[in-house]
Amino acid sequence: MFEKTDEQLIAKALQGNKQAWLNLLKRYEKQIYNYGMRMTGKNEDALDLMQEVFISVFRNLSTFRNEGSFKSWMFRIAHFRCIEFYRRKKPMQGLDDTPEIESAEISAADSIHTGQENKQLISAMQQLPLAQKAVVELKFFGQFTFDEISEQTGISANTAKSRLYGALEKLKILMEVDYA
Amino acid sequence: MPKHESQLYGATMDKSDLSNEQLFGLWAEQQLNEQQRDVFEQRCLDDQAFAKQVETFNMFSMQSEHYQSDEVPSWDRASTFETSEKAHWWQWQGLPSLSFATSMLAIVMVLTGLQVRTDDGAMTISFAGKRSEQEIDKLVDVKLAEFQKTQQLALTNYTQTMQQQQMNTSTQLTQYLLGASRKERREDFAELIKYVNEQRGDDQLFYVRQLNQLQQDIYAKPDLLGTGNINE
Repeated sequence: MFEKTDEQLIAKALQGNKQAWLNLLKRYEKQIYNYGMRMTGKNEDALDLMQEVFISVFRNLSTFRNEGSFKSWMFRIAHFRCIEFYRRKKPMQGLDDTPEIESAEISAADSIHTGQENKQLISAMQQLPLAQKAVVELKFFGQFTFDEISEQTGISANTAKSRLYGALEKLKILMEVDYA
Repeated sequence: MPKHESQLYGATMDKSDLSNEQLFGLWAEQQLNEQQRDVFEQRCLDDQAFAKQVETFNMFSMQSEHYQSDEVPSWDRASTFETSEKAHWWQWQGLPSLSFATSMLAIVMVLTGLQVRTDDGAMTISFAGKRSEQEIDKLVDVKLAEFQKTQQLALTNYTQTMQQQQMNTSTQLTQYLLGASRKERREDFAELIKYVNEQRGDDQLFYVRQLNQLQQDIYAKPDLLGTGNINE
């Protein structure tokens, strides 16, 4: 049996077909969950964020105009949900502020059922400001171009490049520490 | 577009004008042209920090490629669907649009004077000022008949009123004439009687004078009267 396209599933979900929505959700939940893991560093937060993202996606499903891919549209929502999530969790912390990592947060990454490399990577990413972390996430894991990142995050492509450049400077130090 | 950007940088910027971030950005998306590639390689040799950035990018890129996505723990997927319970009819999303459309339709109908009529089981949609000739004729006939009827009624009423008025006037005139002639006659008789009475008064006065004269004559010449004169 042929697999239904995103558009077909969206159309059915909009008609109230729960199964179609669940199929669509299952298709992308892994990507969104792992996005949440890398962005928050915590399993619980990743699950909460994933739920919020999918609720938001479902509520806005009727506004999806098939301009561009569904994945790209969904990650755009995920990005804004993530920012809101951070604002709620850490209201005093700006997007460009370097987060004050609690030891519990780094150790939380260790408790996650992930490989060693994953742990290092997630741990290093948690020490980046949210603005830089979002660009790193979209560039390396989302495989988006700078122009696509610019569309998704609402910043210019040049700003995205600068943020990635700045993020790599920090990651360089963090990774050196990790590998040392 | 990335390609355009690359060409733009290549065309308008001198080799040294490209900042580390721009050069790095172009390299990261594999959009370097030959000239820029030379600059990039030279920059890697000259600038240790830049070379380290490139190395970090490669390392991170490799790690991300080997990143093993975690399986999603069991979670309540259906909860994301709950919020979308079938909306009540009054929450239907098309309601505002429908409302707007019907409002617009109403405005158009008012502005154009659209009329929908059902006559003898047939529905007619017409616009004011665009009535059919037949309809106009029919309407004119009806209006004319109504007008004629009204006029006739008014004329009848007018005639009746006029007749009544004339009759009243005639009666009044007759009564006046009769009254006036009676009065005149009465006055004439009164004058005649007065005249006759005056004449009689005058006659009486004349006779009185005559009698007085006679009396005086008798008293003055009684002989004449007592003797033979009478016999004479």
